[in-house]
Amino acid sequence: MLTLFLLLHVVVGTALVGALSHQAASMLRRHPAAGRSFVERYTAVNTDAFTLAVVVLYAANVAIGAIIYPAYRLQVRIPFEEMSLGWAVGLFELKEHFAGIGLGLLPLYFVTWRKDFTRSHAVDRTAITLVLTFIVWWDFIIGHILNNIRGLS
Amino acid sequence: MRPRFDSMTFSIAFCLSYMVAFDWNLPMFLYYPLHGNLTWGSHPLRGAGPPMAWYGLMADAGCFALLAAIAIPDRVCVVYLRNYLWLFPFLAMLACVYLLRQFFA
Repeated sequence: MLTLFLLLHVVVGTALVGALSHQAASMLRRHPAAGRSFVERYTAVNTDAFTLAVVVLYAANVAIGAIIYPAYRLQVRIPFEEMSLGWAVGLFELKEHFAGIGLGLLPLYFVTWRKDFTRSHAVDRTAITLVLTFIVWWDFIIGHILNNIRGLS
Repeated sequence: MRPRFDSMTFSIAFCLSYMVAFDWNLPMFLYYPLHGNLTWGSHPLRGAGPPMAWYGLMADAGCFALLAAIAIPDRVCVVYLRNYLWLFPFLAMLACVYLLRQFFA
């Protein structure tokens, strides 16, 4: 069951990384994409359409992470400490705290993407989306690194 | 009457309270995964195995943010902090890096 949740954590995380990267890339593009290159087509998406999907995927992935976290605490962190891999423990600590802060940010992220705040909170919307994008990429990469060092069993 | 809830205030209060609770080591409760024990406050229970504070920190931040989102007028975030709201999560993340620096020394 634990392996199933871990796989689900990865799958949902991959979808989340894809959705937020897509939205952030499209948001940072100054002019509407007109060409047919890969980059232009990658950024030529309706950014508003990603917002709800990102909120649902993020909340779901934090919930799945919270379910498997006790197993990590017992099966992975203790061996890390015994192997003197303090930096690995530190990386995971950053992952969990960033994920928590990101969860609290979701209402603000959702609101700043609403039509009535698009102009007035443009800087907030851009920065919050980039912060969330950084968090999901950080959590995704650190999760993989730590799982490669010692996975859950 | 339906209580008013301001999403922006919730997020800002969440970031601030999470940072304070983490810095002052004040989780609402500790969870002990070895036997599934739960204790209120941050005082560790002897012989219960390694404690986990993250759930308690999230509960702290969530409860405080909920109260703030209901109590603080929404114009504070919408008008006075407009386009500076992103600084709060950014500072909270920097504070986490600073507070965890001993792992990388």
